[in-house]
Amino acid sequence: MKDETRQSISDSVAVHLSARQWLCVIGLSLGLAWLLPVVWTAFEVFEPVPHYRVPYELSNDYWLYERWLDQLPSEAIPVVGDSVVWGEYTAHDGTLSRFLGDSTGEPFANAGLNGLYPLALWGLIDHHGGALVNRRVLLHCNLLWMSDSEADMQVKKEQVFNHPALVPQFALRIPCYRADTDTRLGRVLERQLEPLNWVRHLQQTYFGQKSAPEWTLADNGQFPPTFQNTYRLPIGMRGVPLSSESPSAKRGLTSERHKPWSADSRGPVNMEWVTPESSLQWQAFRRLAKRLQGRGSDLLVVVGPLNEHMMNDETRVKYVGFRAAVTDWLKAEEIRFVVPRVLPSTEFADASHPLTEGYERLANRLAAEPVFRAWLGEQKRL
Amino acid sequence: MLFHTWTFLLFFAVTIAGFWVLRPTRFWLHWILLASVVFYGWWHPYYLLLVFYSTALDYFIVGWMERETRLAKPGWRMVASFAVFVGSVLIGLLVPAGWGGLAMAVVFFAVVLAVGHWRRSRRCWLVVSVINNLSVLVFFKYAAFAIENLNALLAQVGASLLPSAEALMPPGWEYMLPVGISFYTFQSMSYTIDFYRGNIAREPSFVRFATFVTFFPQLVAGPIERAKTLLPQFSKRPRVTVADICEGVSLFLVGLFKKVSLANYLGLYVDRIYSEAATQGGAALALATFAFGWQIYFDFSGYTDMARGVARCMGFRLMLNFRNPYLAVSLADFWSRWHISLSTWFRDYLYIPLGGNRVGSLKFCRNLLITFIVSGLWHGGAWTFLIWGVLHGLGLIVNRALEQVGWWRDGCPCLLKRLGVFVFVCFAWVFFRAESLGQAVEILQRIFTMGWVDPQMPLLLLLLVVSVWVYQFIYESPLRAWLEKMPIKVALTVAMILWLLLFAPGAGEPFIYFQF
Repeated sequence: MKDETRQSISDSVAVHLSARQWLCVIGLSLGLAWLLPVVWTAFEVFEPVPHYRVPYELSNDYWLYERWLDQLPSEAIPVVGDSVVWGEYTAHDGTLSRFLGDSTGEPFANAGLNGLYPLALWGLIDHHGGALVNRRVLLHCNLLWMSDSEADMQVKKEQVFNHPALVPQFALRIPCYRADTDTRLGRVLERQLEPLNWVRHLQQTYFGQKSAPEWTLADNGQFPPTFQNTYRLPIGMRGVPLSSESPSAKRGLTSERHKPWSADSRGPVNMEWVTPESSLQWQAFRRLAKRLQGRGSDLLVVVGPLNEHMMNDETRVKYVGFRAAVTDWLKAEEIRFVVPRVLPSTEFADASHPLTEGYERLANRLAAEPVFRAWLGEQKRL
Repeated sequence: MLFHTWTFLLFFAVTIAGFWVLRPTRFWLHWILLASVVFYGWWHPYYLLLVFYSTALDYFIVGWMERETRLAKPGWRMVASFAVFVGSVLIGLLVPAGWGGLAMAVVFFAVVLAVGHWRRSRRCWLVVSVINNLSVLVFFKYAAFAIENLNALLAQVGASLLPSAEALMPPGWEYMLPVGISFYTFQSMSYTIDFYRGNIAREPSFVRFATFVTFFPQLVAGPIERAKTLLPQFSKRPRVTVADICEGVSLFLVGLFKKVSLANYLGLYVDRIYSEAATQGGAALALATFAFGWQIYFDFSGYTDMARGVARCMGFRLMLNFRNPYLAVSLADFWSRWHISLSTWFRDYLYIPLGGNRVGSLKFCRNLLITFIVSGLWHGGAWTFLIWGVLHGLGLIVNRALEQVGWWRDGCPCLLKRLGVFVFVCFAWVFFRAESLGQAVEILQRIFTMGWVDPQMPLLLLLLVVSVWVYQFIYESPLRAWLEKMPIKVALTVAMILWLLLFAPGAGEPFIYFQF
């Protein structure tokens, strides 16, 4: 064994750069990192179909969401919200925004994402909703997220939930969110740095929500597994279509899931409800509304409707109480709102999601509301 | 805290900022020590107790050693000390669960220290230090292995079984291997041994000595630094030049690329094959074994590069630990290129004291085998590590015999030798990577007996590894000047950065060598 304890750096394989060369590297790297997403936008075709919504497979693609909002014409009215706005049980042309457009003749756009909840919605709009400035925004408030401590994310036991990258990482303590510091820091940086956000888009769209190396090793999920990407290179991949949804048997009028909640013989349920003072989701919703207001948006909040047919008497009383607290706050903040009447039981698929006919009825009722008409009238004048 | 995480980046930003502010004052060393404590305590605060014990012990023992002038032979009193050691370990293992284990450990250490004071000789203090350091290492690293095998033996003769290592921990304390314990224990021990041999002077400052043992860039996975090279760097205010920062950042980036882009990617393939080894074909297992050879190289040398880079940014130089080991033309050459800080440690503190190669052939073989068996066991208490060490020991003996053959020495093409070394090293890696001896044997059997089944190694991975191998070949060839050209270097660096940005898989995978 020879004595090799004091080798100079040139004996290792390190790439050895001077200060000037490092400056070149930093300049080139930063330039390319910021240029690539821009160039990519020019080459990647994104021409949303009528009644577009971000495809289900790309629900975590916040770069695409941002691009979708950026592409909205100035006269379009984005409808912002969770899966109730997005349309969990319906096809893309059976959602609230589509029927609002039909009822009013105005171009409403589906700016919902599947799997959201107020804490994540706040993060989404805060970091990726920069296009929602000085325009009318229809914001949906789904009170189901406050109906128990688990939905409100107050339970201490760690839980797996959608869109963890969107929830506050350090600003607010969410008891059931137990990600380590490094994960949280990574998520904060991803929100702030456009190139990282774009890389996530590539992973979501082209590599099955994985990094490219993981994608080359991915199996088809069956036994025995087959590895379809082993001999493929990441270049020239055809990904998930961006501009329209792939047909899905899970959604739309012909899907098996598209049926009234009562078809499964489920009876009324008890919901504990948290208090407005302690609710994390309500706190997030308030911050979201204030954020949109702060950006000069003219808000109209649609509170509910929830499926009251599914609630027992005790639950309904608590729900009405919570709803009153919500409307009181909106009044105090001078934010316009509508509380639509509950839809018929047969038009709900579950506790909060309407079926296609429910959306249609809801849109018609909203369109008939004086507050809504007034808000829309001002929009027209603008 | 792993180097390739955002948390470390934040930690390092704060550390280096504080270091720059405090550098003109005398508190810069305290700051580095504090940063090292935070870095290590981040894993588990109780690790700090062990590293503090190891540090304090060697610091004070060397102090006591300095006061003693006698260089006495160990004699019967040392035999008695060893008996106390063995007896205490046995008592510690036999006492019921609870605080008994800790109490026995404390009594044992107190007795050993008392023997040291009673004997009052430099050699005695050296033995006390070695026994203390190794006891901690043995307990945390080998107790479970030893007890498991002893219990298997006891079960054969129908005797009552020994309690598990977990049962010896105080209530509420988890029995777990402290990260990097082998690294800092060896580093601390080398200080005491070097002082005993008269190679270095005693370090009067506890803060400086503690910083030497716990210096965060190399604390958990080396390089295992020697006191004579690292301690003097802490004696004077570090001078940090622009060139230092450039070199540091270069090293860090290369290390990051090796770890995140190469080692983690290779690890995905290796894990897939090895986790289902019983159903894999021979080609897949052989390729996964080669892939593991590259994975462990990129993982460990990546860590070392990052450690050296971080230290360099603060003006400190850590030793080179890897030098393109897979381009070695002999096994001896391989060991002069692989984990250099550990192989030189064993050479200086075990192999040469045993007699090295200046003895007869039989004793030379014995020395080599002992050194490599210990080296294998240094990685952990498992039969697989022991076999791995034996294989390398035997390989070196064969290697030496081959070097006596004229054709092999002068006529055999270099490329063939390189391939031979690579294949042998990978063959030994099977034992290193396998979960058990049984699995290792099964893997080897399947490699040689199973027919052809598509190994499904990703083309992208293959291209990456081949590119790096070609790069290393060029680096050690006359074409190296071409790689040193500015546009090539800049292009390579930008390519690495973009690759990390676009394609880095699961960044949070821990380093393989943290478990040692």
